[in-house]
Amino acid sequence: MSGVPLRHSRQLRIGRQVFLAAVVVFIVFPLVWLALASFKTRAGALAMPPELIFTPSFEAYTKISTGGVAQAFVNSFTIAATNVVLSLLLGVPAAYALARMRGKLQAHLSFWVLSIRLAPLFAVILPLYVLVSSAGLLDTRLALAMAHLTLTLPLAVWLLMTYFRSVPRDLDEAAMLDGARPLQILLMVVVPLSRPMLAAVAVIVFIFSWNEFLLAFFLTSRDAQTVPVMVAGLAGTMTFDWPLIAAISVCSMIPALIFVSFAQRHIVAGLAAGAVK
Amino acid sequence: MKLSTGLFSSAMLCLAPAAAFAQTEVNIVAFAPGFAWADLFGATGTEKTDKLLAFEAANDIVVNIEFADEETARQKVLLDLISGTGNYDLVMLGSDGAVQTFSYAGYLEPLDGYLASATDYFDPSAIYPQFLEANRVNGQLWALPYYSFGAGVIYRQDIFERYGITAFPTTTEELEQVLQTIKDGLAADGITDVYPLTMRGAPGEEPSLDLTGFVYAYAGQPAWFEGGAVTPEEIRETDARPTFTGDFRPGFETFVRWSQEFGPPGIATHTWVDMMNLYGAGKAVVLLPSAINGFAALGGTENEDVRNHTAFAPSPIGPSGQPIQSFWTFSVGVSAFSDNKDAAYRTLAFMTGEAAMQGFAETIGWPYSTFPSITNGPLLSAKWPAETLAAVEASYEQANPHYFPYIPELNAFMEQIGTAASEAISGTKTVEEALADLQGWADETMTAAGYYDN
Amino acid sequence: MRPDWRFWFLAPMTIALATVVLFPTGYLFWMSTQRWVITNPPRRFAGLDNFTRLFGRDDFWQAMSVTGLYLVLSTVLMVALSLGLALALAGTGRGVLRAIVVLPMVIPPVVAGFTWRFLLNGEIGFVGAYLLPMTGLDVNLLAEPRAALVSIVIADVWSRFPFMFLIFLAALQSIPRDLYEAARMDGANPIHEFLFITLPMMSGAIFVALLFRLVDTINTFELIYVMTKGGPGRATQLLSLFGWDMTFQEYDFGTAAALGVVMLVIATIGATLMFRRYQRSEREMSR
Repeated sequence: MSGVPLRHSRQLRIGRQVFLAAVVVFIVFPLVWLALASFKTRAGALAMPPELIFTPSFEAYTKISTGGVAQAFVNSFTIAATNVVLSLLLGVPAAYALARMRGKLQAHLSFWVLSIRLAPLFAVILPLYVLVSSAGLLDTRLALAMAHLTLTLPLAVWLLMTYFRSVPRDLDEAAMLDGARPLQILLMVVVPLSRPMLAAVAVIVFIFSWNEFLLAFFLTSRDAQTVPVMVAGLAGTMTFDWPLIAAISVCSMIPALIFVSFAQRHIVAGLAAGAVK
Repeated sequence: MKLSTGLFSSAMLCLAPAAAFAQTEVNIVAFAPGFAWADLFGATGTEKTDKLLAFEAANDIVVNIEFADEETARQKVLLDLISGTGNYDLVMLGSDGAVQTFSYAGYLEPLDGYLASATDYFDPSAIYPQFLEANRVNGQLWALPYYSFGAGVIYRQDIFERYGITAFPTTTEELEQVLQTIKDGLAADGITDVYPLTMRGAPGEEPSLDLTGFVYAYAGQPAWFEGGAVTPEEIRETDARPTFTGDFRPGFETFVRWSQEFGPPGIATHTWVDMMNLYGAGKAVVLLPSAINGFAALGGTENEDVRNHTAFAPSPIGPSGQPIQSFWTFSVGVSAFSDNKDAAYRTLAFMTGEAAMQGFAETIGWPYSTFPSITNGPLLSAKWPAETLAAVEASYEQANPHYFPYIPELNAFMEQIGTAASEAISGTKTVEEALADLQGWADETMTAAGYYDN
Repeated sequence: MRPDWRFWFLAPMTIALATVVLFPTGYLFWMSTQRWVITNPPRRFAGLDNFTRLFGRDDFWQAMSVTGLYLVLSTVLMVALSLGLALALAGTGRGVLRAIVVLPMVIPPVVAGFTWRFLLNGEIGFVGAYLLPMTGLDVNLLAEPRAALVSIVIADVWSRFPFMFLIFLAALQSIPRDLYEAARMDGANPIHEFLFITLPMMSGAIFVALLFRLVDTINTFELIYVMTKGGPGRATQLLSLFGWDMTFQEYDFGTAAALGVVMLVIATIGATLMFRRYQRSEREMSR
């Protein structure tokens, strides 16, 4: 099994524990605090000194279940899932092709793919809006899924490309000798071997799409509104409802949390085997 | 039985599409669900109450509203208007920038011609004229006001009395002394988490509405351009250059100084929400000049002292003899790109007319209303002391809605002014530096816009 | 070029991306040459005017320096944290800890921004108004210019480091153990191991991570907007927020587009440099 530095001195080990403990607190504290806030009343959430022990109130969660909040979750999920499918469908072949290429064209293409994300969004929002609007696709989930592709597809292609490079060419060649065509090689040899990586990419794409804000903000209004946009929308209203925001945030974390806890092992395994050699 | 039911249903089925064809759709984008038009769209902003359904049925209109937060709504409006897509028929505006900018840009439909067409819903003679005036640019009316407010002060009477102040000061000079007294008193009592004053200093246009009110009180005129010019024509004719380092200075300097000396430490990042929350939590003694945020705080507070001892006072008068201004209307206009302008106006009239404002008074209950009949009506009179209502009404009469220039670049200016204030309050720049930079920007912008080409 | 299978495999991706990207990018370049301020309706050609005016603006340079400072600070912190964690969590049986470490990535930046804003708020925040005063530090984390910058850096690092951590962890896992064993036998201590084996073997990963980091910084928006709106004053106004204001407050689309072009050019130069480094290290690795 590949590598990890071997046994270390006690000092290093203790140092490591302390460091880890500090990091875990740093990571978890805001989340715990957020979750606690979701069970407070509006005024209670703003109380000073902060109430660490209090009677929980389910105000916020009831508001969620009675309000029109579910739609945003459905939208976010559909868009993210569509994005995963599209990213893999378009990205896998492209990544494989790039992995089996050499030379200037390969360098240029792979750089171009990555550079797509380099233009600041505020600058392209107007043309994007006009483009989507004239296609009659404003406020549709399809338009947003396609827009998200510009962010997730390059990411998927890059991760997959570096992974595929690590799949030995002899496998390809052996299959070719058996008379297989490139598409068959891809589907029947390479893809099955790459399942951990594909899972990893799927999860990462899902999370990116779920969390995306700016594009969703502009290209959706009522029908296709996503969760981050809804959360942001709550924050500017006449009465700042912190527990409600916290509750929605907690709910919005759940799907991604589930995914990640399942796939965590696969992500690392996938990234390990080839993301960066 | 079955046969007739069947016939009945099929008859309904045939009629339904026909009815749908006759309906016009009016699309609206606005902010604050559960606050704005709660009597029409419910507490979540997604229902249709009987009142709304009755309107729709009577006029063959289907009203689709989309709620977002203020920023979002404004940006959606902007994109829609700029690209001319006409997705929204009615657009949310504010009288502190959007009305001016968008009307000059040709994105709005002038409403004067429509006023007579829906007087059953909106009667222009029954409203406080100042609120209409705030939406007039170059004499033309571009939007109708929904909830609106004038200037005033909200303060904690109990804390005032504790430090020996029995009446609210009438001038800014007196107020400054009172604030100092309170500050010293709080310090002597060892109270560190209550501040004499709460205002807003977040960058962007947040402070500008109030700040320009200070400027007006100290200079006696808007003091943005030479000679107090307030319209593009005046500016061009008199070649009025920006005077941000001139008459603008006293009011700006006072605003910054009061924020630093009497406000909470974080004031340079406070929005109206923070300002409101601070007062509602009982941590501030005075809130001005947008008293409405104090009334909003009252609605959400659980602090008994705040609720029982809050009083309203008229805005203090500055050295020029004018009170510190604050005036704003949440305005709604008709998009110039709408396909259904008549239906849109009719809906607009319904949503800003007396019945709608009565509904607003019922659901929200603040002492501010755009109609005298409601301000003096039974509902508000039962809720608020007569002096408060009278003082609020007086604040409209003393208001000059055009206390800042009504130019197309208004929005950009409000943004720069507010950010300059934020920088000065936080100490990154001195007042001189901030104003000098503001002046430089203003010179450049006005020149580039061609005001001084003769 | 003869259209072999690689062409067909690449075509769908290229078409999909090109459609959504080419038009807006072209439009962006065109817009940057137009004087287009909606308060001054007639739109006219302005050549490079927008650029000259942009470079003459103090607030532009302010935003540049804030962005630069932010980029350096957040990247250094993030690399240190991610590397440290990757080293600490490499090996088997650390699934739970790893899952925890990945949590912040899962939260929308908007939510992260609100959470940190409310934690650090000087009047009602748990950290800002309660914990911090107890330590005696008299700093309002969001209201003082320099503290505000540090605050958004912390929030951003918190939100985005898991991705970098994953990349580093993966790279670390793939370093062959024998290299370490051999070094051990030659008497190397942990520091030697780190400097002469771990780091070089990970250099590719580091460049990839830096590349992604650069891309992220260009577009970091909502987290900061929600926390400080660019304030106090302009202390946390990154180029992305500056551009946003120019578009939606000054309504100056032409200059905003010029800013967009400038950002694009700078980012492309940076990315090219990183990319070349990455390619070089890949070539060295695969000898």
